Amino acid sequence: MNASRDASAGVFPIMAAVGALGVVASYFVAEPARFWANWLVWFIFVLTIGVGCLFIVALGHLVAARWSVPIRRAPERLSGLVLLALPMGLIALLSLPVLYPWTRPEAALKPAIAGKAPWLNVPFFSIRVLICFALWMLAYNIFTRGSLKQDKTRDPAFSLRARGFAPAFMFIFAFSITLVAFDWISSLEPEWYSDIFGVYLFAGTFLAGLAASALLVINLMERGRLPGVRNDHLYSLGGFMFAFTVFWSYIGFAQYMLLWYGNMPEEIFWYKQRIEGPWLNVILLLAVVHFFVPFFALVPKDRKNDPRSLRWIALLVLSAHFLDLYWLIVPVVGAKPPLSWPELSFALCFIGLGMLWVRRSMTMGADMPIGDPLLQEGLEFRS
Amino acid sequence: MSDRTFAVVGLFHNATDLMAAIPRVRAYRLGTVEAYTPYPIHGIEAALGLRRSPLGGMVMLAGILGCVTALFFQWWMSAVDYPLVVGGKALFSWQAFVPIMFEVTVLFATFTAGLGMLLLLNKLPFFGHPMLSSQAIASVTRDKFALAVEADNGTLDVEAAKTALRAAGASALEVLFVPAEEPISLQSQFRTGAGILLSCAVAGYVMYWAIKLFPVVPPMVHMEDQPRLDAQRASAFFKDGHGMQQPVEGTVARGQLPYLIKTPFEAGEKLVNPLPRSGPVLQQGRVVWNQHCGVCHGALGNGVPMLTAAYGAKPANLLVPPIRDYPDGKFYHTIMVGKNAMPSYAADLTEDERWAVIDYVRALQRAQNAKDEDFK
Amino acid sequence: MQPEALLLPAVTIPEPLRAPAIVEGHVTPGSLDDQVLQYPARRPPAVWYVALAFTASVMILGFVLIGYTFYMGIGVWGNNRPVFWAFDIINFVFWVGIGHAGTLISAILLLFRARWRNAISRFAEAMTIFAVMCAGIFPLIHVGRPWLAFWLFPYPNQRALWVNFRSPLLWDVFAVSTYFSVSLLFWYLGLIPDIASLRDRTTSKVRRFFYTVFSLGWRGAASHWQHYEKAYLLLAGLATGLVLSVHSVVSFDFAVSLVPGWHMTIFPPYFVTGAIFAGFAMVVIVLVIVRETMDLKNLITMYHLDVMNKVILTMSCLMGYAYVMEGFTAWYSMDEYLHHIFMQYITGTYGWAGWLTIACNVLIPQLLWMRAVRRSYVGMLFVSLAVTVGMWFERFVIIVISLHQDFLPSSWHIYKPTLVDFGILAGSFGLFFTLVLLFARVLPVIATTEVKPLLPGAQPAHAGGHHE
Repeated sequence: MNASRDASAGVFPIMAAVGALGVVASYFVAEPARFWANWLVWFIFVLTIGVGCLFIVALGHLVAARWSVPIRRAPERLSGLVLLALPMGLIALLSLPVLYPWTRPEAALKPAIAGKAPWLNVPFFSIRVLICFALWMLAYNIFTRGSLKQDKTRDPAFSLRARGFAPAFMFIFAFSITLVAFDWISSLEPEWYSDIFGVYLFAGTFLAGLAASALLVINLMERGRLPGVRNDHLYSLGGFMFAFTVFWSYIGFAQYMLLWYGNMPEEIFWYKQRIEGPWLNVILLLAVVHFFVPFFALVPKDRKNDPRSLRWIALLVLSAHFLDLYWLIVPVVGAKPPLSWPELSFALCFIGLGMLWVRRSMTMGADMPIGDPLLQEGLEFRS
Repeated sequence: MSDRTFAVVGLFHNATDLMAAIPRVRAYRLGTVEAYTPYPIHGIEAALGLRRSPLGGMVMLAGILGCVTALFFQWWMSAVDYPLVVGGKALFSWQAFVPIMFEVTVLFATFTAGLGMLLLLNKLPFFGHPMLSSQAIASVTRDKFALAVEADNGTLDVEAAKTALRAAGASALEVLFVPAEEPISLQSQFRTGAGILLSCAVAGYVMYWAIKLFPVVPPMVHMEDQPRLDAQRASAFFKDGHGMQQPVEGTVARGQLPYLIKTPFEAGEKLVNPLPRSGPVLQQGRVVWNQHCGVCHGALGNGVPMLTAAYGAKPANLLVPPIRDYPDGKFYHTIMVGKNAMPSYAADLTEDERWAVIDYVRALQRAQNAKDEDFK
Repeated sequence: MQPEALLLPAVTIPEPLRAPAIVEGHVTPGSLDDQVLQYPARRPPAVWYVALAFTASVMILGFVLIGYTFYMGIGVWGNNRPVFWAFDIINFVFWVGIGHAGTLISAILLLFRARWRNAISRFAEAMTIFAVMCAGIFPLIHVGRPWLAFWLFPYPNQRALWVNFRSPLLWDVFAVSTYFSVSLLFWYLGLIPDIASLRDRTTSKVRRFFYTVFSLGWRGAASHWQHYEKAYLLLAGLATGLVLSVHSVVSFDFAVSLVPGWHMTIFPPYFVTGAIFAGFAMVVIVLVIVRETMDLKNLITMYHLDVMNKVILTMSCLMGYAYVMEGFTAWYSMDEYLHHIFMQYITGTYGWAGWLTIACNVLIPQLLWMRAVRRSYVGMLFVSLAVTVGMWFERFVIIVISLHQDFLPSSWHIYKPTLVDFGILAGSFGLFFTLVLLFARVLPVIATTEVKPLLPGAQPAHAGGHHE
């Protein structure tokens, strides 16, 4: 087991390096919009996994759940991806003049965009981005670093502090994820608006966090690093994945159906771009991998806690979240979904980097929050 | 109560004792072992060797059936049987069909779950089970747990079962018997059937009259009583008591201008045909002629009508002098005010149609009085 | 990584994190039956009759006014051009929303394995059914010719016309009738074992007959429980989908239109949240009354009320989020009609209703952050009443304000409700509480079959049996 771990350890740096070369090359060769669109997709992907995991941790603290305690270290470690997202986000600020029409002088000619200038301007946008990152760092400090410290100190006071901070984090999360959706994604087309968009991104974010955590937990379980953790603990992860697959589909469909029904030119153009021509194939694929397959796969009760099924379903859900972001963001580049060596390079680079980051986080603290007073009850949990 | 034993039942005081007893009693292999509990017990299905409930699969199938049914019916009704374009939406607006598809899916699935569980799997309602008339049942629905060794194929070694249960820790043993079969007499069957038929007949008769009469009693008929002016009704609003009144003197219909010319001579002097004698105009004129004029003046304009001679009046022949030489305005005047037996056609023809038909008459006149050059 | 993680030292769990007692005091299955099942068997106290007389009179007043409306037409209401929808639809949305809390408690919380739901699920489900019945009245009576309501169903007819499936009003017909039938089925299935208990306890021959019939011959067989539990779990899962979908379909009534202030994509989850919010407030009000008058304080404990108040607080915060999003998007859209309507929400003729809504739905419930408020009758009743009023006014704001000043200023018109409107609204409350009183008299208000397994020693002891 250790041998295969070391072997795979070598893969990721190579992936990251090769990918990075391709990324740099595409910066010079491919058109700027395409480069930055790819960067944005990967930035949001990594960010949403990190923030989604923070949400999972906070939710567990908020309701003092038992079942989540033994497996809580996985989302805590994954929340470190927010730290990887920080430099990605700062670099993404360079994409503003390329991807965002409201940064350009001709935007002043369109009243629908010019009127939004008090909100959509580079300084205020950047401040909002920095504030969100600051708040996420704060949450990371309180939840993850605090939990790691609790491993050593075994002080129950941390659990109370975390529980007290959890509601505040929920406010932070609600508004920050809405800002990510509105600022980074929906303002790519500033004439468009949809007030459910924050909720839509929340659904995908939660799913991404669940899927990533599930993958990590199953990985650790199979390596015997989580003694006492049984399939029962996986049940809720599988159940939430099922529920939020349905929720994401519901939100996505509601937004689409309402805008289709009204058929207003100023709203529907956003969908027309994304469901006509070659992009139709992407949205159909998205419906299949983000709804149909996970839904029917997770309907049987036994699948929700079976690690073998849950692993590939989680992988599918995570990939579907990526496809979702790709479908949301990349249509601004052109009528044909780009898929070539730039996209592959980005994938190699950031999957490699991400996996390296996760591996590094695996050395942080114990594999279970051993200082948590609820751990014993958590291990006894039966679904 | 017949003599055939149904089961031997023993009571236990808590779930732990019951669960401990189940494997011990089953080991004796005296018959099917059933447990009776006031609430579901974890792990009891495995202990009793019960097969998995097929309800999940049934419900899934029912749900899919519901979804497909709703989709099919909405599609057929909206796009095939009576297609109506509503709100500019496509005939097969699947986006609009999804909410009902979802609801019908849930409806089919839930009713399969509930009714399938009751009727098919648990075979309830069933009021004849011996357990219902036992001593044990009152304790079972309250706070005790019962284990029953049921007779397979009608035979049960009662003493052995009692021993087994006692050994496993049961108290209050009881023997249940199969209820005696009371044959349902033909007379009572007949009475029941007749009763049902009679009730259906009465209910049907009552419903028929209720549905027939319901729409014609107030307030259902209130919409027929509208405070508006209907045709051919009296009205107290007008001095002469008539609902229908003539338009006010000088009223001009839309699309019409007032025709103020009094004499044909004046018409001939003042009015000029604005339409050229071009192909489309003549085509229009021909259509108007055949619809309105040819009936009396004949298809060729020569006063030989399509009507039989019994008509009486003699329509003018438009092809011969002096009519042939009248200016266009005179023709227009005749159309507007009529002449002799011919009524005014002002209301039947628009201004364009009047001039177009006059152009056509000119064409008819030329056709009947062709010169040599016309054939070159 | 460390095998010694299993051998954890004994830790004292801090008090706020400890799992609370679901049931207080010493309760056995037998004492539970005696405590809960005594009510269907004995005469209710005088105050019950007084309450019933009051609620029934109000209900009858409502029905009389409905009959008056049938006879005279919708003109006796305040609806006008352009405010075509007013109290009728406000009341419909209000009552359907209240029903959702019951399904959430009985279905969704079952899926989350929240054991505290067991003592209150029966009452909550009953409230759902009664609320949906109250709600269903309004679409029926608000059409000009209610006797033709059957035209809404797609049946082959001589008009050679099918119903319009593209209309959300028709989706409502399917959604609400499905919701009612499924809730009724779910509630009834849960009642079957309890009715069996009543059957086996009662001494009255007449009652025994009815209990026998309605318990369908239930005998508590383990083989039956197996299928029953599976059906119950499946129904819970399906009912969860209904909670989301029914109020979303109701929100579609508004969101598919182009009326400014209605065509907002956030409406579906916003309405569902509002529904749960209003419903929980009503559940809290009713449960406080029930636990006091029926002496069920050891079963419907302060913990139950505390948790429900936390849910109300959460929903209030989510409503606040929705209001902020609506306000922000109203500005962000750069749509002058939407700007105007939003200003009307807070500064127009009905601006007082807008502020009342915000105060009742977002500000007052913030009191629930304080534990003392969550656990005091005065506190929680004040908040729940405020929420009930606030949620009613929220629908008023959405419907009346958006309609009374939409696109064409020449069509603008003030709306004034008539006494008939108020009377029918009151009548719906009368109907609801009459049904609640009758339910408490006839059927067990707590699902004894669901509470018994939670009592200590109820399940067979085996190694490590901590259930969430």
